[in-house]
Amino acid sequence: MAVENGSIELAGIVKSYDGTTRVVDGVNLRIPDRAYCCFLGPSGCGKTTILRMIAGHEDPTHGEILIGGHDVVGLAPVERRTAMMFQSYALFPHLNVRDNIAFALRVRGVGAQERRKAADAMIEKVRLTELADRLPAQLSGGQQQRVALARAAITGPKVLLLDEPLSALDEQLRVQMRQELSRMQRDLGITFIHVTHTQLEAIAIADIVVVMEKGKIKQAGPARDVYDQPQDRYVAEFLGGQNVLTGRIERIEGDSAIIVSPEMRDVVVPLGVRRTASAGDRVDFAIRRDDVDLVRPERGGGERAKVPSRVRAIEYQGNFVKVILDKIGDDELIAYVPDRVFYRDPFSVGDVVIAGWEKDKTRMLA
Amino acid sequence: MESKAKGGGSSAGWLLILPLVLILVPFFIVPIIGVVAASFVQSDGFGGIIPSFTLDNYKGVFTSGLTYQLYWATLKFSVFAWFFSLLIGFWIAYFLVFHVRNPLLALGLFLICTVPFWTSNIIRMISWIPLLGKEGLINSALIKTHVIDQPLDVLLFSSLAVVIAYVHQLTIFMIVPIFNSMARIDKRTIEAARDAGASRFEIVRFIVLPLCKTGIALGSIFVVSIVMGDFFVVKVMSGGGSASVVGAFYEDIGVLQYPTAAASATILTVIVLLLVVGILRTVDIRKELTR
Amino acid sequence: MIDQPSADANPVPVRRRRALAPSRDGRPWTFYVLATLFTLYVVALYGPMVCIYILSFQDVRGGLVFPMRGTSLHWFVDLFTQVRTGDVKGAFSRSIRLAVVVTIITVVISFMSGLAFRKRFAGDSVVFYLMIGSLVAPGLVLGIGVGLICNVLGIETSWYTTALGAQLSWTLPFGVLVMFAVMSRLNNAWEEAARDLGASAWQTTFLVIVPILAPGLVAVALFGFTLSYDEFTRSLLTAGSLNTLPLEIWSMTLNVTSPSLYALGTVTTLISFLIIGVCLGTIARIQKRRAVGPAAH
Repeated sequence: MAVENGSIELAGIVKSYDGTTRVVDGVNLRIPDRAYCCFLGPSGCGKTTILRMIAGHEDPTHGEILIGGHDVVGLAPVERRTAMMFQSYALFPHLNVRDNIAFALRVRGVGAQERRKAADAMIEKVRLTELADRLPAQLSGGQQQRVALARAAITGPKVLLLDEPLSALDEQLRVQMRQELSRMQRDLGITFIHVTHTQLEAIAIADIVVVMEKGKIKQAGPARDVYDQPQDRYVAEFLGGQNVLTGRIERIEGDSAIIVSPEMRDVVVPLGVRRTASAGDRVDFAIRRDDVDLVRPERGGGERAKVPSRVRAIEYQGNFVKVILDKIGDDELIAYVPDRVFYRDPFSVGDVVIAGWEKDKTRMLA
Repeated sequence: MESKAKGGGSSAGWLLILPLVLILVPFFIVPIIGVVAASFVQSDGFGGIIPSFTLDNYKGVFTSGLTYQLYWATLKFSVFAWFFSLLIGFWIAYFLVFHVRNPLLALGLFLICTVPFWTSNIIRMISWIPLLGKEGLINSALIKTHVIDQPLDVLLFSSLAVVIAYVHQLTIFMIVPIFNSMARIDKRTIEAARDAGASRFEIVRFIVLPLCKTGIALGSIFVVSIVMGDFFVVKVMSGGGSASVVGAFYEDIGVLQYPTAAASATILTVIVLLLVVGILRTVDIRKELTR
Repeated sequence: MIDQPSADANPVPVRRRRALAPSRDGRPWTFYVLATLFTLYVVALYGPMVCIYILSFQDVRGGLVFPMRGTSLHWFVDLFTQVRTGDVKGAFSRSIRLAVVVTIITVVISFMSGLAFRKRFAGDSVVFYLMIGSLVAPGLVLGIGVGLICNVLGIETSWYTTALGAQLSWTLPFGVLVMFAVMSRLNNAWEEAARDLGASAWQTTFLVIVPILAPGLVAVALFGFTLSYDEFTRSLLTAGSLNTLPLEIWSMTLNVTSPSLYALGTVTTLISFLIIGVCLGTIARIQKRRAVGPAAH
């Protein structure tokens, strides 16, 4: 029973260590072959557990894991054509780069000559040729990561599993290594499953982003979909860049709802996923922070939603200025104003402004 | 990250631990049982035994005034040895951990302290003679500098000499575990205490000392068990002036009084084990060691 | 530390600077006190032995105390040739051989036990306290016990059987305790990585765990060797008719009154130092190559 390709299917995966709390609570997911898939979520959401179950270092309490169409539950890691890259890299400190990379071949009984050749080829691929004889302690973090990658990839796995590979690096290095991972994935042509808690990282490299909370998948899809069209409050808030506001439907007009709250009047939001909502319902809706325009009260007007507010804080972020306004109920209201626009007529803390947006940019949340 | 290592249940654990058990049983459990058994039989006075159960041996030990004298003496030595080795050992460890800035240097100095441990005990004992003896270096130096007129008798072959020898031998047993415990203290807690205005003595009293409890306990176990079980240090360093519990039953063996020796030995072992258990109650050694 | 000059209520009393303020180059006065204590301690530690080493180089007129009389290797020669001083050569070779065997057994069994203790198993507390018991039991008591049992069973005590076992009852607990300390730094990730790459349990143990723990194993070997080489109380009644070196020294202290005893002390210490040097050197070399610690980043 050979695993032919790196497509993965998780069917009804449940994991519980003590019989009561479920670390993974019913996960169903399909990942096509050769995809770069990121599992995104806070600590404890179950993403690492799922990774380890795919790798074979843990077994699911219930459910099936199919790799390349075959159910692999119960198989040892080496039989699954998967390879794992550990968070701490776990490079063998007593072996040099070449021997670390060749380790998998060594335990399979491959001869010394052949091992060396294969390892050197791999070292070329990750561009570490001059460092082949160094010990891990003599390498930088980025170099160690490349060794860990090469070590995992040498066995020709169909799926590479990465457990928070960039968390140990500092900001600049992280951005650099991100591209390295992307490149490797395309080069090797296999499925990568990458676990992280950093949203920007996930949306930067993933073909598929899987957002998780408390053992369940909240939303899975291409990065743009998840970011621009979050389905619920959790995903919207986790991915960032969105204002999530709550209000009560005053009335329905056609395919839109008119929403009110103590701070807002007549905010029009297309019904979207809440097609069955009726007047009186409390709903959440999202509007991207960079879709919120701020104008001084004297200028106001138009088709757009108008929410009067006051500037509470201003943070310069380079390309844009983050303007934090008074809360709507318990929700933050934040506008990202392009810096050139902002500085034509800069606001100060305490200024009264009108926040507005186009109705089509709003999105009803589940 | 959860790391539930798969593979190999508790049967593997038992297989791995078997050799250890196979050595400890015949060379620890069985001899103890043998000694205990022998303490309940009668001696025929000539090195043989009459197989009959008797409590006479224990009666003899408990009613003999000598027993209490010996235990008193041995306990006194234990306390003194423990106290001074703890005092010196604690401050040496403190110096190495908190005052020596270069960790490599600290390690080096630490090793320098441990090296004598790796040399023969007996050699170390006879080495006191040229130093502490009546014609030894110290006496000569003191006489030459006119501090005293007559050589001090008390430096060698006395109770003082015994304590000196014990402390010399046993301080290292205090230094090692205490050093280990101290090195584990997060330096930032000390810094935080300094920030809050604590003086260095207060830091030692309220932070360092409590966190070293395990090390002190471990060291105490070593010191107490070694002193209580010793006989040749006392014999040599006191010049025969003092005896110890073990020394006494060593003499008994010498005259083939096995059962009485066995009774004495059993009582001593029980006492030492009780002391150790008492110390172990104050700290959870297993958790600390395997942390 | 800023002294508050304000007059309003300052609830935290400002401390006098005595125990806090660093003086020159940042060293508080306590440093000098402790440094002095440390120096005195080391001097006291090595002092007596150094006296012996020096005195062992006296010539034939030499006595047991200072002042030193002449310099020569007379007493070393005397040690190894004179029969009346006992069977030093024989005891010496026996001790070395015994120590080597004890070392090997201690390393292997301590390693296995250390592995076993990483997970809980039925009765693990019992075994743990068994070890501690074996460590603290008075050596002579165990010796008596072994002697008695052997008497009853008709087995002869000898240095390579019963003394071996008695010494192991002392070295194994030490070895296992050292293994505890060593293994607590063993990262599970390495084993998992090895498994992930396809290594079997054996391969993981011998290709990954043993090499990584090598410095620790050398430390256990050091303990095993020196504890056995210097072991006295447990060997006393279990060594049978032929002496190990410490036993030989013991009988010499009771009989011999010449500096040949000091010469023996010097020689035996040299051996110890040699072994220590080799072991520590090995550990240092391994550690340096692997640069364990906050290395490159």
